[in-house]
Amino acid sequence: MDPSSSGIQEPFDLIRLSLSERVFVKLRGDREMTGILHVRALKHMMGHMNLILSDVEETIMIVNEGEQATVSVAKRKMGMLFVRGDGVILVSPPSRTQ
Amino acid sequence: MASQVLPLELIDKCIGSRIWVVMKSEREFTGTLLGFDDFVNMVLEDVTEYEITPQGTKKTKLAQTLLNGNNICMLIPGSEGPDS
Amino acid sequence: MDESPPPPDNQSPPPPLPPTGHTGSPTDFLKGVVGKKVIVRLNSGVDYRGVLSCLDGYMNIALEQTEEHVEGKITNRYGDAFIRGNNVLYISAAEEL
Repeated sequence: MDPSSSGIQEPFDLIRLSLSERVFVKLRGDREMTGILHVRALKHMMGHMNLILSDVEETIMIVNEGEQATVSVAKRKMGMLFVRGDGVILVSPPSRTQ
Repeated sequence: MASQVLPLELIDKCIGSRIWVVMKSEREFTGTLLGFDDFVNMVLEDVTEYEITPQGTKKTKLAQTLLNGNNICMLIPGSEGPDS
Repeated sequence: MDESPPPPDNQSPPPPLPPTGHTGSPTDFLKGVVGKKVIVRLNSGVDYRGVLSCLDGYMNIALEQTEEHVEGKITNRYGDAFIRGNNVLYISAAEEL
């Protein structure tokens, strides 16, 4: 595949072009994370959007219920992570200059 | 034997007319039905979306819209929806 | 948050958006909106506004120049965004077709 071509034929091409790069992933339950998209997981990603990420930083929004609801943010780092596809809402590749 | 009308034939007869779509959640749509497919994904025009919340109903106007059939509960042909 | 049961997962073979006899079908709509500005609303109520690059039979969507809107406010911007189809409530044209 020509990596310089910005044209994509199907949505998965966005993911395919981001292998080995840091992506932003938004999950159900107000979870967000960035991590390096692992190359060897491609065939899992195609059907389900199961992802394997490395060097992950997860951001969790915690809504504190009460008179005045406040949101606190917790962060944590993980070396390697499997993300089950059904929780995935959005994947954004790193912005690349075209 | 009673004449049979298949459910999707009924919807097919609605193409070109107004339809009221009630979702499984507290959300409804009205619009002119332009088309649909076997999954009852629907293309609507001149759409109003109604979000029913405890604070009241929020209305949103939309242009041509493809509505995912996955969360549709009911279809009411020829209706202007909650406002009628 | 929409608590309705999750729609069928991306596990069966890809369902093609089947062509229908008349115009105005979902397939025709999608052909018409590729490359145009659209609003994608998820079941959670979050909106993504951007240019539709492409999509597949699962309603998986690739958007460009994407803005994330929550309750009318922009909460994020993405150069490109892949949205998993099972979360999609609707795709609406945001400019003349």
